[in-house]
Amino acid sequence: MTREAIDPITIEIVASAFRSVVDETFIALMKSAYSTNIKERHDHSTAICDQDGRLIVQADMSLPIHIASMTGLMKSILAKYPPSEIEEGDVFVANDPHVAGGTHLPDINYAAPLFLEGQLMGFVCNIAHHADIGGMAPGSMAGGMSEIYQEGLRIPVVKLFRKGQIQQDIMDIMLLNARIPDERRGDHFAQIAACRLGVRRVLEIGQRYSLSTIRSVFDELVERTRARMRAAIAEVPDGIYEFDDVMDDDGLGTVDIPIRLKVTVTGDRAIFDWTGSAPQVRGNINVPINATQAAVAYALRALLDPEIANNQGIIDCCEIVSEKGSIVDCIAPAPVAARANTSQRLIDIIIGAFSRAIPERAVGASNGANTTAVFSGIDPRNGKPYLYFETLGGGFGGRNDRDGKDGVQVHITNTSNLPIEAIETEYPLRVVSYGFIQDSGGAGRYRGGGGLRRVIEPVGHECIFNGAGERFANAPWGIFGGQPGRPGRFALADGSGETQLEVKPSGVDVAPGHRIVVETPGSGGYGDPAERSDEALDNDRISQKYSKDYLARHYPGIAKRAAQPPR
Amino acid sequence: MQAGNWFIGVDVGGTFTDLYAFNRDEGTVALHKTSSTPQNPAEAIINGLRELAAKSNVPLDAMASLAHGTTVATNALIQRRGAKVAVVTTRNFRDLVEIGRQIRPKLYDLKADYPMPLAPREMRFEVSERIGPQGEIIEPLDMASVDAVIEQLRDSGTEACAIAFLFSYLNPVHEQAVKARIQQALPDIAISASSDVQPEFREYERTSTTLLNAYLQPAFSRYMSTLKDAVAEMSPTAHVGINQSNGGLMSIDKARDYPIRTALSGPAAGTIGAIHMARQSGKPDIITFDMGGTSADVALIRNCETSLAFDRDVAGFPVRMPMVDINTVGAGGGSIAWFDRDGLIKVGPISAGAVPGPACYGRGGTEPTVTDANVVLGRLSGHGLLGGAMSLDEDAARRAVGKVADRLGFTIERAAKGILDIVSANMVRAIRAISIERGHDPRDFVLMPFGGAGPLHADGCARALGITQIIVPYSPGILCAQGLLVADQSESFVRSQRLALDAASAPVLAGLVSELHGEALAWWQSEAIREDNRALKLAVDMRYASQNYELQVAVDAELADPALPDTATLKQLFFAAHEQAYGFYNPDDPVDVVAVRLTALGQLPSPGTPPLQDGASDSPKPRTTRKVWFEQPEAVDTPVYDRASFAPGARVEGPAVIDQFDATTLVFPGDVATVDEALNIIIDRARTA
Repeated sequence: MTREAIDPITIEIVASAFRSVVDETFIALMKSAYSTNIKERHDHSTAICDQDGRLIVQADMSLPIHIASMTGLMKSILAKYPPSEIEEGDVFVANDPHVAGGTHLPDINYAAPLFLEGQLMGFVCNIAHHADIGGMAPGSMAGGMSEIYQEGLRIPVVKLFRKGQIQQDIMDIMLLNARIPDERRGDHFAQIAACRLGVRRVLEIGQRYSLSTIRSVFDELVERTRARMRAAIAEVPDGIYEFDDVMDDDGLGTVDIPIRLKVTVTGDRAIFDWTGSAPQVRGNINVPINATQAAVAYALRALLDPEIANNQGIIDCCEIVSEKGSIVDCIAPAPVAARANTSQRLIDIIIGAFSRAIPERAVGASNGANTTAVFSGIDPRNGKPYLYFETLGGGFGGRNDRDGKDGVQVHITNTSNLPIEAIETEYPLRVVSYGFIQDSGGAGRYRGGGGLRRVIEPVGHECIFNGAGERFANAPWGIFGGQPGRPGRFALADGSGETQLEVKPSGVDVAPGHRIVVETPGSGGYGDPAERSDEALDNDRISQKYSKDYLARHYPGIAKRAAQPPR
Repeated sequence: MQAGNWFIGVDVGGTFTDLYAFNRDEGTVALHKTSSTPQNPAEAIINGLRELAAKSNVPLDAMASLAHGTTVATNALIQRRGAKVAVVTTRNFRDLVEIGRQIRPKLYDLKADYPMPLAPREMRFEVSERIGPQGEIIEPLDMASVDAVIEQLRDSGTEACAIAFLFSYLNPVHEQAVKARIQQALPDIAISASSDVQPEFREYERTSTTLLNAYLQPAFSRYMSTLKDAVAEMSPTAHVGINQSNGGLMSIDKARDYPIRTALSGPAAGTIGAIHMARQSGKPDIITFDMGGTSADVALIRNCETSLAFDRDVAGFPVRMPMVDINTVGAGGGSIAWFDRDGLIKVGPISAGAVPGPACYGRGGTEPTVTDANVVLGRLSGHGLLGGAMSLDEDAARRAVGKVADRLGFTIERAAKGILDIVSANMVRAIRAISIERGHDPRDFVLMPFGGAGPLHADGCARALGITQIIVPYSPGILCAQGLLVADQSESFVRSQRLALDAASAPVLAGLVSELHGEALAWWQSEAIREDNRALKLAVDMRYASQNYELQVAVDAELADPALPDTATLKQLFFAAHEQAYGFYNPDDPVDVVAVRLTALGQLPSPGTPPLQDGASDSPKPRTTRKVWFEQPEAVDTPVYDRASFAPGARVEGPAVIDQFDATTLVFPGDVATVDEALNIIIDRARTA
């Protein structure tokens, strides 16, 4: 099809209209959803793709790994349904990482086709992390699962709505297979409403611009972003940059799992070769190739051009070499629930590789995890089952001109914490403490950010704890002489002391009066600790973020410096 | 009150303090501008009042009302010029205010962080106490731990202290006990308790708001005391009101305790002024659009009322309190047009500011701005701004816009029009967010542009939104100052308590309303507001039991005996609001009440319409003609009118340009402008597309 020539002003104005739509659907989904994971923690994303499934615009707060699932869903829809079978009023739903482009089962993907001038123009998409999708453990995220069948309900691409008519049978299957079905129903409704809203808004745009104009704008957006990313890659010195790291533990006995990367930068292309990484593991930290691509896309953008528009143009620059059946490109029936932990590691590795090429943009290894804590049980106040799911932030690595950040979500995730007042109102749980862990950010000219400690106890009942940690054994490394940060851990505290739990604990009974201790990893420092300023060291001490003992051990000059008269 | 007939609005900005005086009996207006005095902003007000009195023969002892809007708190936050401040928290939770929501402000920027809290970690102290989710005491307050903290506060040399405990919005007893103890031991430090400042759910946002309040208190308190004493001496009968973010006025004593309430008050005054004008013109439903040099504020007014929002960022920190729901976008006259690295063109949010300013100002600016585009198209006269006091360099504007034109291969005029179209698109997004995205169809509203640049850009926004009528107020440049004069005194009362919305809750809800009413009565009494000037608004925040974002539903209430409708009716109101906001509702799911809000108002006498100028006529003649580019590629010879020459009933067909001291209004070809009794210009747009 021929495209009309289109000027930059029209592109900007039309793109602005589409950006409005994805922002509006993002907020509508957040505000009308039922589960805390969406409404408070914003673990959801919205986007618009074109008729070929290319990503065109996404809401600013969308999460990279979600966008990968959406583009995966697009491919699956277009592969399964010939154009004649995609009709107005259809709504597609899917979640499966092996057959439907997803990245793990709790992320439920929705898409509704857009028709303009009688032709398929694209899709409005949204994806939300449901707090449970069934399977063997509450929250569907625990360690110890060895096949995807244990992780919950697998949904291939299906039409939940056909020409505007809900296929109630499908909804019934989805609800029956999840814990807390009432909450799930509310979340599904919110996602469906967000699809409809998006379709209505795009049709309104279609009243002002022709299909041919819109298609030309889409092409321009993608092509310009691709060219811009290529130009950014061209500024990286040519070379081969290698880095490797290990995952702690797959939750089923495999430990220190290696992941290797060789980046070859030639001109305006960068090839990410993961050959030599471990085969996929029994435990659920495997990464579908879409999620690996999301990690590469995230890192390219964060390292090279943070302000670039997020669309297919970036994805097109992600040239990846991987071995099928490896941990970075897993095949069915690999379990994948905790793949975000591995994705975080992939990003640390990419940044590590690029640190030699562009040292001023690199950062120390961050908490490299998506520390997950799931509490479930029967609420003694009303006899109903409850399920509280949360991922906790940790240290963000030291940077070339400033310290890392303490206690924050890093890289591919940016979900909020749940307010303590919300946790205790909604669930029979008490938060005993929440704060930074002393001495947890690695020393350096610019120190790494510290980890978080949160202690929770069940109130008036026995609850079950499931969790997934990473960088609990292998500490987050520093760069250019920066020291590693403190690893994280899970522990069970009873009256007599703390018992350390597995890295990926499953089905831990917590009696009333006993407590679960979650400690997230810190992060690595940047540069030689000897170069840290006196002022920064004073602040480390006065704030009590560091003990005197730690400072004396990691900054050997400190005693000498302190002995000198103040300047 | 009968002693005086002058109403004076004072707007304190970072650079200038503006005074606007209105004599209600004679319709006389006097304006004055004086330099601000950041050390003690009250000085500039007092000086300004004296200068105004001398210059314009305004007898200060005949001042009935002084309404004061101030950006002092906002600027102190942005520039970090507040007090040395501490915070006292529940034991084990001093890091809460630094962790915040554990997120980064920009997902892809490895170097962007939220700012550190105003109280660094060594200034955050813990006491032993714990309240639970029902407001129950889980661990009693340990006074020994409080006394230990008092010693630390004393040693730290703190000037102000925030107190924020978990669940204090349900049970303030621990916070209040600690407050009393600190007050007694350290009488010189300012104290803010979260249960006083904003007793609502979500500990981080509540703590942050309280901490900001404490940070501002010492300096604000000095400022308010000076002002109070000086006004008491100069104008003993004057009522003094301080503008707050919900658009109402509060007393000096309230402002001293709650300076954070002034932090977003500036734009709120504009919407109050807009409501006043809209009411005079009989237009109850309007979308306001206040465009200045660097940004534009938009708000939606329905039935002469603004809606309130509760969560905003101020200087990078979250603040939760009732404020007029305003959306701000970085689009103003000084916004710069620039090419991004992908070759796409953007306008703003970078601004040329006042210095160097747009290229046409001739102060060394060379970048193309929105104002330059308006000059190129003849929409702004080269003879200048401010009634000709400042001339504009048309050649410089053409050179600047020419850079964009060259790169696009466009004529200069087409490039200029493109710049304005993009800035319109940015503003349209902001307006959509407060209208369409809240379930309101903008086509049912009238657009009211104000601020220096608003009337120039109204048509572009109206066109994109399908709005058919534009109303340009009499003085677009000083609507905020006018808003100060027409604002009511107001105080918001809230009970944040989660209850299932069913018949069993009805007595509890009635009890809450009665408590709130008792507080309102006490406030009316303390402010000496006469019964016939009292009014109140009642609203309920509701949501599905499983949601976390509430919808606020207003209910009708009797002044003498406010009461909620029965719970079945409340539920229907909630369903309607959910349908409007999100396009659906679930009739079977349980609904919760999360808060009941009562706003008490004290109505002040409001100024009438401005007087006609000499020579005004209902058949005005154009002053001149000039070439103006509207929609078509060619310029049109366009008559230029003086706004001062318009009397009620005047009618002008587009194309036309209407100039006045501080703003320029465009009437597009085919459109018709008429002047109403309140001297507002109503433009009926002929073209809907």
